[in-house]
Amino acid sequence: MKLHAHGLRAWLLQRMSALYMTGYTLFVLFIFSCSTVLDYQSWHDRMAEPFFSLATSIFFAGLLVHAWVGIRDVIMDYAHSAMLRFILLSATGVSLFSIGIWMLRVVMMVGIT
Amino acid sequence: MKFLIYRYNPETDSEPRMQEYELADTEPGMMLLNALERLKAQDESLSFRRSCGEGVCGSDGMNINGRNGLACITPLTILKQPIELRPMPGLPVIRDLIVDMEQFFHQYRSVKPYLIRHDPDPEIEIKQSPEERDKLDGLYECILCGCCTTSCPSFWWNPDLFRGPAALLQSARFLMDSRDQGTAVRLDELEGPYRLFRCHTIMNCVDVCPKNLNPTKAIGNIKKLMVKHHI
Amino acid sequence: MDVACCDDGGNYMNLTKRKFDCLVIGAGGGGLRAALQLSQADASVGVVSKVFPTRSHTVAAQGGINAALANVSPDNWHWHMYDTIKGSDYLGDQDAIEYMCRAASNTVIELEHSGVPFSRLDNGRIYQRAFGGQSQNFGGEQASRTCAAADRTGHAILHTLYQQNIHARTHFFDEYFALDLVKDEDGYILGAVAIEIETGESLLIEAKTTLIATGGAGQLFYNNTNARINTGDGMAMALRAGIPMEDMEFFQFHPTGIAGKGMLISEGVRGEGGYLVNGEGERFMERYAPNAKDLASRDVVSRSIAIELKEGRGCGPNKDHVLLKVNHLDADIIKKRLPGIRDLSMTFAGVDPIDAPIPVCPTAHYTMGGIPTNRHGQVVVPEHQGAEEPVPGLYAAGECACVSVHGANRLGGNSLLDIVVFGRAAGNHIIEYLKENRYHRPISQESVDKALARLARWDQKGDGESVDSIKTDLKVTMDKYCGVFRQEDVLQEGVEKVLAIEERLKDVRLKDHSKVFNTARIEALELENLMDLAVATVCSALERKESRGAHSRVDYPERDDKNWLKHSLFFKEGRRLEYKPVHIKPLTVDSFPPKPRVY
Repeated sequence: MKLHAHGLRAWLLQRMSALYMTGYTLFVLFIFSCSTVLDYQSWHDRMAEPFFSLATSIFFAGLLVHAWVGIRDVIMDYAHSAMLRFILLSATGVSLFSIGIWMLRVVMMVGIT
Repeated sequence: MKFLIYRYNPETDSEPRMQEYELADTEPGMMLLNALERLKAQDESLSFRRSCGEGVCGSDGMNINGRNGLACITPLTILKQPIELRPMPGLPVIRDLIVDMEQFFHQYRSVKPYLIRHDPDPEIEIKQSPEERDKLDGLYECILCGCCTTSCPSFWWNPDLFRGPAALLQSARFLMDSRDQGTAVRLDELEGPYRLFRCHTIMNCVDVCPKNLNPTKAIGNIKKLMVKHHI
Repeated sequence: MDVACCDDGGNYMNLTKRKFDCLVIGAGGGGLRAALQLSQADASVGVVSKVFPTRSHTVAAQGGINAALANVSPDNWHWHMYDTIKGSDYLGDQDAIEYMCRAASNTVIELEHSGVPFSRLDNGRIYQRAFGGQSQNFGGEQASRTCAAADRTGHAILHTLYQQNIHARTHFFDEYFALDLVKDEDGYILGAVAIEIETGESLLIEAKTTLIATGGAGQLFYNNTNARINTGDGMAMALRAGIPMEDMEFFQFHPTGIAGKGMLISEGVRGEGGYLVNGEGERFMERYAPNAKDLASRDVVSRSIAIELKEGRGCGPNKDHVLLKVNHLDADIIKKRLPGIRDLSMTFAGVDPIDAPIPVCPTAHYTMGGIPTNRHGQVVVPEHQGAEEPVPGLYAAGECACVSVHGANRLGGNSLLDIVVFGRAAGNHIIEYLKENRYHRPISQESVDKALARLARWDQKGDGESVDSIKTDLKVTMDKYCGVFRQEDVLQEGVEKVLAIEERLKDVRLKDHSKVFNTARIEALELENLMDLAVATVCSALERKESRGAHSRVDYPERDDKNWLKHSLFFKEGRRLEYKPVHIKPLTVDSFPPKPRVY
C-alpha cells in the first residue's frame, strides 16, 4: 500500500469499506439470527461455504483498508517530523499487514478443515 | 461587569498573561465591542481590531468565553462573567487579541478565489438563472473573519497544508457558480491528502460561523463534485 | 540612485524605501478598481490599507449600484443623468455626471463578468430594484435602476475586486497607515510616508503617481452609519499638502439608520415596498413628496423625518424615531432580497422586520465633498490662471474625492457606481501619465521629515487629555452644531467649539508608546485627520448662505442659484474659502438648467 494514497482515493476507500462492512455485518447478523442452532459447528459450516468465505475475506480486507486510512489520518495530523511519521506509518503498515495475513489464514483454515 | 482578557505585548511581556478588568456602566443592548471600547478608554494599551461594528467587515473575531465569534454582534447579556477574551486560537499572536492572519489569507489566496472563464465575454451579463444563483447563497456571504478556520482542529495541526474551512468555502463558492469554468483546475488543486481531505467533519466551523454559514456542507459538496469529476 | 538626495542624514536615511509606478492609498472599491486597472496594464502598484482590504467600508454598502441596464423598467443613461443632477440639487458637475452615467452599464457588466454574484431575474439578467430619486423619462414614473446582490452589494463588489487583484497579483501593504503625502518644490506628489502598524516602523513609498482612495469621514459625527475606520485620512492628507476640500458642507444624513445605534438600513427596503410611519401611524412622506413618497431623495426624506420628530410626531417614549414598516411584505421577499437587513434589525434593534417595523432615525452617512478632482481622477486646484489645474502625480477617487457627481446630495446607488467608474478612470489616466513621466523624481527630504514629525509628536510623554475624550467631544459637537438643520448663530458657535477642541488636541498625550500594533497611536493620528475635516466642514457650512441638498439652512431656506451655484473650496492655511463655478455644460448633450426640485 502506498504511503501517500491520494486524498480522494483514500477517502473513497474509507467510505466504500465502511459501507461494505456495514452491509456485511447486517447480512451476517441476519443469517445467524435466522438459524436455529448457534454453535461452533454451524458457524464453521457457514464459513466454509465459498461465497461466505469470499465475503468474509473482503470484509477483513475492507477493515484493514479502513483502519489504515484512519490511522494514517491520525498520524498525519499529529506526527509532523518526517522520521517519526515514517516510523509510525511503517509500524502501522507492518501491524496491519500481519493482522491481514493472520485473518487470511483463519479464513483459509476454515475452508480447508 | 467583570472581564478577563488575554494580554501580550512582545516589547514588554516575556509571556502572555490574563488581566482582569471591570466595567461599571453598561447599557441594555450593548455589544461586547462597545464594552471593549470603553475598556480601551480606561486602558489605551488594550489592543484589538475593529471596524464596521455591525458584523460585515470581519475585523473583530476573537475567542469569547472559549468560543470564536465577532465582538460587535455578541450581546453582553448572553455572556457568563467573568467574560474571558482570548485571541483566536491556532494563529501566532501579534499583540493582545490581535493575531497574525497571514497563514489564513495564504490559504484563501491558494484556492484561486476568482472567477475562471475561458469563453469570450458576452456584450451583456453572463446569464444565470435565479436557481443557479441560489446555489451561491450560503457561500458568497463569507466575511473572512477567520472564526471558522481558527476553531478547526485540522487547521491547528496542519495550518500550512490544510486549506481550512474558510478557504474551502470560497472554493465551493466558485465551483457552484454556473459562470465559472475552472472546475477541473480547482478540483485537481484540492487533490491530495491534506488540502481538502484533512476535514474530518468535526463541524466546529459550522458551530461558530457568525454569518451562520456551513463550511462543512460546502466541503462535502466539493468531495461529491470530486467523485463525479473522477468517475 | 535613490540615496542621491538624502546625503545630509536625518531620519530619512534610515527609512525603508519602496518604489512603485503608482501608490494607491486605501483598498475599498475605488482603490481596488484603480489598482486592478493598473495591474492589468502591467504597471507596478502598491496598495496601502490600514485594514485588510475586505474590511474596507465598501463592504457595508447594501442596496446596490445604479446603471440604466433597463432589465426591469425602461431606462437609459440620459434619464439617470437627469436624476443625478436633480438629486445633486444642480450642484453636480454635469460633464462628470454624463461621463459616469454613460459608463455605468459597461462598468456593471464588467463587474458581473469578473464574478460579482448579482441577484437575478427569471430571464437570467441582473436584478434591479427601485431606489430613491429614480425616474423614467426625466421625472416621470419610478425607475428600477439599482443592480443588487441581495442587500449585500458592497460586500459582493469589494470581495470580487479584491479577488481580481489577487489574480492580477497586485502588491498589498495590509495594515499600513499612510501619514502624509510627499511633495517636491515643483508641486509634484511623489508618494507617501507610511507606518507598518504591526511593527510601528515607518517607510517611504516612492511613486510616480499617488491615488488617494481612503473613503469618507462619517466618524465626524457621533450618530453615524459608518465604520470606525472612516476618519477621512486621505482628505486630511490632501488638506495638509495644501489642497483645498471641495463642498465639505454637504454631508448626507441617511434617513434610515437604526434609531440610537446608527447601523444603516438600506434604501432598498423602501425600494422593495417598505414605507415610513410616524407616531400617529401616518405615512407622512405622502405629505412631503406626493409623487415619490418614501422614495424621494435622501435629503428630502431625512428632513421630513427631522420635522416630524421636531413637531412631536415621533415614536417611542421619547418620540425620537419613526418606524420603517416592512412587515406588510411577503416574508419570502424579505428573506430573499433583504437578508442582511433582517439580521441587522434582529441583532441591533431586537426586531424581526417580518413581524414588526424597524425604529429608524436620520444618521450621518456620506461625505459628498472631498478632494477636488476632474473626471479623470486628477486632483485639481485653483492655480495660476486656471480654476482647475491638475496637481502633477496626484489622483483621488471614491468618497474622499469630489468630482463632483453628487453635488449637494447623493442618490442612493450612485456611490458604488462612483467608486468603480472613477477608480477605473483614474487607473486609465495614470497609465497615460506614466507614459509621459517614466522616471521617479528626487524626493524632497523636508516633506518626508514633516510627515515623520507628525508621528514624533505622539511620542511626547506626560499628562494630558485622552484621544477618546477629545474625539467624543468633537463628534457630539458636530452632531449638535452641524446636523440636518443649520443656522448662522448655531454654526458660528459650532466653529468656535470645534476650534476650541482643536486647541485642546495640542495637549493630548498618549500613555501607550509601544511600537507593536499600537492602535492607540493610530487612533490619535485618525483624530488629527478628523479634526482638520471638522474645521473644513463647519467653516464651509457657516459660509454657505442658502439651502441646497443636504445643506439645509433654517435662516436661508431657499436655494439661491444667483449667488450660490458654485463649489466651495476650503483651504487649511488661514481657514480660507474660495469658490469655483459648477460645470453646467455636459460632454455631449444639452445642459439641465436648475429648476425647482420637487419629488
